[in-house]
Amino acid sequence: MKAFRLYSAYFAQFLKSRLAYKGDFIASLIGTAFIGAGGLLFIVFLIDGESVKAIKGWTRSEVLFIYGYSLLATAIFSTLAPNLYNFADRYIIQGEFDRVLLRPLNSLCQVLFESFNLESLANIFVGLGVVLYAGGQLGITLSVIDVVWLLVSALSGAVILLSVFVFLCSLSFHWEDKVGIAPPFYNMINFGRYPLPIFNNLIQFVLSWVVPFGFVAFYPATHFLGREEFRAYCYGTPLMALACLMVASVGWQFGVSRYSSTGN
Amino acid sequence: MSVIEVENLSKEFRVFSRREGVGGAFRDLFQREYRTLKAVDEISFSVEKGELLGYIGPNGAGKSTSIKMLTGILKPTGGKMEVLGYHPFRDRKAYTKHIGVVFGQRTQLWWDIAVIESFSLLSRIYEIPKDEYKERLGKLTEILDLKELLHTPVRKLSLGQRLRCDLASSLIHDPKVLFLDEPTIGLDAVAKDSMRSFLRTINRDFGVTIILTTHDLKEIEELCRRIIVIDHGHIIYDGDLKNIRKLPGMCKQVSVEFVAAAPLEELSSKFTTGVKFTQESERSVVVDYDPEKISTVELVKNVLTGYEIADLKITEPDIEEIVMKIYRDGVA
Repeated sequence: MKAFRLYSAYFAQFLKSRLAYKGDFIASLIGTAFIGAGGLLFIVFLIDGESVKAIKGWTRSEVLFIYGYSLLATAIFSTLAPNLYNFADRYIIQGEFDRVLLRPLNSLCQVLFESFNLESLANIFVGLGVVLYAGGQLGITLSVIDVVWLLVSALSGAVILLSVFVFLCSLSFHWEDKVGIAPPFYNMINFGRYPLPIFNNLIQFVLSWVVPFGFVAFYPATHFLGREEFRAYCYGTPLMALACLMVASVGWQFGVSRYSSTGN
Repeated sequence: MSVIEVENLSKEFRVFSRREGVGGAFRDLFQREYRTLKAVDEISFSVEKGELLGYIGPNGAGKSTSIKMLTGILKPTGGKMEVLGYHPFRDRKAYTKHIGVVFGQRTQLWWDIAVIESFSLLSRIYEIPKDEYKERLGKLTEILDLKELLHTPVRKLSLGQRLRCDLASSLIHDPKVLFLDEPTIGLDAVAKDSMRSFLRTINRDFGVTIILTTHDLKEIEELCRRIIVIDHGHIIYDGDLKNIRKLPGMCKQVSVEFVAAAPLEELSSKFTTGVKFTQESERSVVVDYDPEKISTVELVKNVLTGYEIADLKITEPDIEEIVMKIYRDGVA
């Protein structure tokens, strides 16, 4: 509770400095929503219902549903992620991590809560809209349990994404490269927005067990699509999130112990 | 009671040596060469409660690395350290509540928001009770003269103003030990002076133990009784600042002005070891001598007898010169 109040104060602090440059906020809010919606057009035109009715047995509404589902978790992730994106440059190379370590707080939480990408929250609404629309097409009705599952799985998805990128950031403690190896992984997030079976076996394996972006949207969404064959994966989502979190925090702790700061 | 205990503390870095040119950068991608750098090499010392210790050394000597270990930022590669009963790196979260740190090179405050907002967030981070926070903020505002600055964003402050705010932020939680890494770098003479008197006050009146690194030796001379000199990762001197003048090999100087032309050769022949004569002008001579080998009294007596003297001046070596000599030659 104490931690929650403290990090709300961090958030308030960020809000104040963000509003110091309020001019571009609305514009980037709209821009982000467009980027989120961009992938939808791709699906709508590809599976047009006439020449292409489905991809490997997945109908347009199902694909849309999964896509919308993925926007929920990625929106939460992107809101918290800006400092992970430029972690190596800002914290390691410019040495701001010194300041983080001088405060009596968890170092990872400080990094995550020092900057937010509020615009990304727009995608929660885009995602909800798509889920509701596609769900309507599929004749899905939502019970209370379904809504709880939606929340739990979206949060789990965000935790999985955060964990993967925190782990990748923790490698910067050892290598000190400006860009790091994270960028290709940001592109991989997009694989998790589509039904896994449309990819070849290797990619399916990687997205399930190595970089488990399949758990961000696809597996948990099958709860609503009545695809029994993925049941074990689907309800394993929170466990996968927990496992990822553990690996990430071990990697982070180890990285911090190797932090070498800057010259002066 | 000692506040800081350091024993055989070491820090090694693995440094990636980059090859030259574009071709070299390309080869670096596939095969990297590392070498091990011992930034701090088995140093040991202890600091008593209430001390104001000067921690000095040339660039790259290992000063900052040792400060960063003592403040919990870096994990040592070897040795033991204990500050206020904590292991700085292992107990970082509990430990940092009790120390204050200022790095002159960069600010600890939030860049875009007003100073007072940074302070208020810090008061929550350190869980300072409201009344206590108000009282401390009032006191710090008064002695550091911050009133005009509190509502300005940090990015708009001048360097001197920013350092004053940084110092206040490092003291807001009533730390028992204060680490200052070049806290007056880039300040003008007036700002430096007021910073010094402030440090003296918090050390004397509030009993805060202070570890100070700086390149400004005047500052050290004014503030510190004890200094530690570090070079190439080793401690080369640890002791009273006054005694550093008495170290073997530290020359004193006598300038003599004669009424007639200076009898340089005659004088030289009077002494055998430990004395060096240099002619300054026609009538004046500078004598460098080692007080370990010949006493001042004996030297002056020998110079005075037989000549008419217009003026005589004995000078202690400047602290700056001594430290330069130590950096250059080590301690004999």
